[in-house]
Amino acid sequence: MGNIADLDTSRHRASRVTGETALALEAYSFWFKPQGGQPEGPAALDDVSFEVEAGSFVLILGRSGSGKSTLALNLVGIYPDYFGGRNQGLMRVRHPERGLINRRELEAAERFKLVNMLFQNPEDQIVTLTVEEEVAFALENYLFPPQEIHRRIDRALELVGLSGLRQRETLHLSGGEKQRVALAAMLALEPSVLILDEPTSNLDPAGTAEVLATIDHVRDELGLTVMVVEHEVDEVFDRVDSVLLVEDRRVVGPLSPREFIASRGLQIRDEMGLWIPQASEVGLELERAGIELGRPVPLNGPELVTGVERLGLRFSARKEPRVPSRAASEASPEPAIEVRNVSFSYGEHAVLKNVSFEARRRELLAIVGQNGSGKSTLASLFNGIASPDAGTVLVEGVPTGEYEFAHLAKRVAYIFQVPEKQFVCRTVFDEIAHGLRALGMSEARVEERAVEILESVRLLERRDASPYVLSHGQKRRLSVAAMVVGKPDVVVLDEPTFGQDFHQARNLMQLLRDLADDGAAVVFITHDMRLVAEYADRASVLCRGEIIFDGSPDELFAAREVLDRAKLKPPSVYEFSAKLIGEPVLTTAELVKRIQEAARGPRRTVV
Amino acid sequence: MAHVELSFKKGNSLFHRMTPGSKLLFVLSVSFVAIFNTNLYVGAGLFLFCLLLALFCTGVPFKQYWALGKIIVPFVLILAIVFPFFYGGQATVGSDAIALRTPVKDLSWGALGFGALLGLRFLALGLAGLAFAFTTHPSDLVQNLSRHGWDYRLVHAPVLGLILFPSFLKLGQEISVTQRIRDLGQNTNWLKRKWLRVRHLAFAMLVLGLRNGQTQAMALDIRGYGAYKTRTFLREVPRHRAGEIFAWVFFVLSVIYLFMQFNPANMQWNMQF
Repeated sequence: MGNIADLDTSRHRASRVTGETALALEAYSFWFKPQGGQPEGPAALDDVSFEVEAGSFVLILGRSGSGKSTLALNLVGIYPDYFGGRNQGLMRVRHPERGLINRRELEAAERFKLVNMLFQNPEDQIVTLTVEEEVAFALENYLFPPQEIHRRIDRALELVGLSGLRQRETLHLSGGEKQRVALAAMLALEPSVLILDEPTSNLDPAGTAEVLATIDHVRDELGLTVMVVEHEVDEVFDRVDSVLLVEDRRVVGPLSPREFIASRGLQIRDEMGLWIPQASEVGLELERAGIELGRPVPLNGPELVTGVERLGLRFSARKEPRVPSRAASEASPEPAIEVRNVSFSYGEHAVLKNVSFEARRRELLAIVGQNGSGKSTLASLFNGIASPDAGTVLVEGVPTGEYEFAHLAKRVAYIFQVPEKQFVCRTVFDEIAHGLRALGMSEARVEERAVEILESVRLLERRDASPYVLSHGQKRRLSVAAMVVGKPDVVVLDEPTFGQDFHQARNLMQLLRDLADDGAAVVFITHDMRLVAEYADRASVLCRGEIIFDGSPDELFAAREVLDRAKLKPPSVYEFSAKLIGEPVLTTAELVKRIQEAARGPRRTVV
Repeated sequence: MAHVELSFKKGNSLFHRMTPGSKLLFVLSVSFVAIFNTNLYVGAGLFLFCLLLALFCTGVPFKQYWALGKIIVPFVLILAIVFPFFYGGQATVGSDAIALRTPVKDLSWGALGFGALLGLRFLALGLAGLAFAFTTHPSDLVQNLSRHGWDYRLVHAPVLGLILFPSFLKLGQEISVTQRIRDLGQNTNWLKRKWLRVRHLAFAMLVLGLRNGQTQAMALDIRGYGAYKTRTFLREVPRHRAGEIFAWVFFVLSVIYLFMQFNPANMQWNMQF
């Protein structure tokens, strides 16, 4: 690949970086507070040194459990000031009047005014009844006079584009709006550095776009330094100025995004388990296959398209029609779940309106749609958690109302988005054994089978641990395994890959694929279009309580009207592959294959 | 956040205009009269007074009261109907033991009257409490009590609890659903299953509630909650002279009434007949 420094075509980079240091760590280490008389463990952050330039946009990356949140909470001062622990080394922050100073010289309240943080779930930090009060809350605590509070509320709401919602009750905001209100509440304090912990992880594509556009706007207006912890890198990677990699309790960087991708290559995905932008993934896969693009690794679709065009490849139309989806080719024609003209309301609010659809055995069905479109409600009807106001839900041809709840729950395994909510036993082993005992197995057989299952989900070494102390990925695997031990007819998952790194997500989706291949109907609710493109056999789109589309992912991404109406967005590979080879493909693997095929054929002359 | 049933409803009624402090004084007066009153007619009068206030002075539709009332009223009715059968002190037989052995035979008008008083007491308390909750903005309450010298952190804590309680309730509902899905307590009798589920619910809510609470505590800390002993407020709560007079008059009348009817020998907790 070419010279890294000669290229910078990213959308927003570098325009606001001032050259001054906003935040600096020098030989900084942190140890958690030992629990219950235990000796102090190894440092959670070990000898960390880096500087962040004022006005820059920094992405903090690292595999699940690597310490990204610990780093963020140390930067804010929650650790060790509020939750204990010990630190050593130096952390300096830029004070508007005093310049770069040691953070210890400031009182705790002052520290939060300089470096502040937005948590992953906005609902965790909304503590008042209206938008106006929410934005005012911190200002009131910091003793701002009322006139100044009003001025800052106006300014903060204008920055996040919510001026019209000042009097709105926080209860009635959408997910994207709540996140923007929480952001406005932080911005009202006018901090120098704002840290965002996965700000888009709970949001649909439209909400994600809203929040990212807001961050861009805020940076333009205020010159704010923003540090973001994010798994979903496709949308942010070419927006950021630099990357900090949290790895083995240390922090590498800051590196420019291109430098980071170029130096680590596919190791980022394959060994570190991190998501990388699809355009970069294609570029690196081509490089691995010996196809040089003649320029630095691409960070976005346009860069990849320019790079590949230089090769002068000729792409022929697909020889055979696209392989029909498994839904069409292999899925059982008999539906495992059939929803007929179902309506459902919460009080006067109609959530589902005359919905009809079906889930078939041996099929991975994705249910997609905006936040609040009724996806989770629809899924809750499958196993009788809720009953429809009108219409019928049939499981294996029998209305759900005719099943005994416990029996239906065994046939339709519903797996919550938050795994902790479904643990009912004290140990990992018992979680699995619980389902096996329900099948009437002998204790010896339960022991044998539970060990097999724990081994298959790589949890055998944690068999005696409490389910609550596992890592997020482990909890998710355990929650799925515990629910499918009884070989249910239908498996329903709410956001299966939420908060998971690349490897965890892949393993989980493979597990679901195996379940479908064994004959189950697998239904998953997701906002992740990459997941839909790569794994779903069929997708159903819910929009304001109505099914507006039912078909293959290919057909879905081609249906612009549906995407616009449901505010969905195809994965980036679908967009740039159309420009690159003349027709869209769903996955990076398919695109790489097409480029490799073209590279073996005749080439055009490139002027 | 889940739906906040007890949330403030905007309005410009008499109750809305009263300062939170005045309303609190009124609600406390109602509470003391309701609890210590032993006269059925006063109990009925207090209930009617609270009902009329709720209907005509709060600007909140009755269906809002009924949304919660329909949950509480059955319990109140059960209490009012069942209690007289087992209330030894009101029975004519002279001994608790006999009254408990032969409840129906010993039922007296006095006991029935006491049951009715009990029911009216809870209904009056409920109405006054809801009228307060529906018409008092939490932030105004904090401000008003802070101005009276209360530490805002102390006052704001229950307000936060009120705002965050629905999400805690929702968590409990979700865990409860999970227990049904996972069939916790399978192959055990009804009682043992209930016990297992209650125990697990308490543990799971403790663990998850603490975790959520920790995040919420962090969110409060980084927004300066408790950073200073006082705080400023977005808007001033104006004084409402008529409301203050109403609350104080009611308070004084309550004290006079309680003083007049106070007689240790007649109090309901006195079982020495």
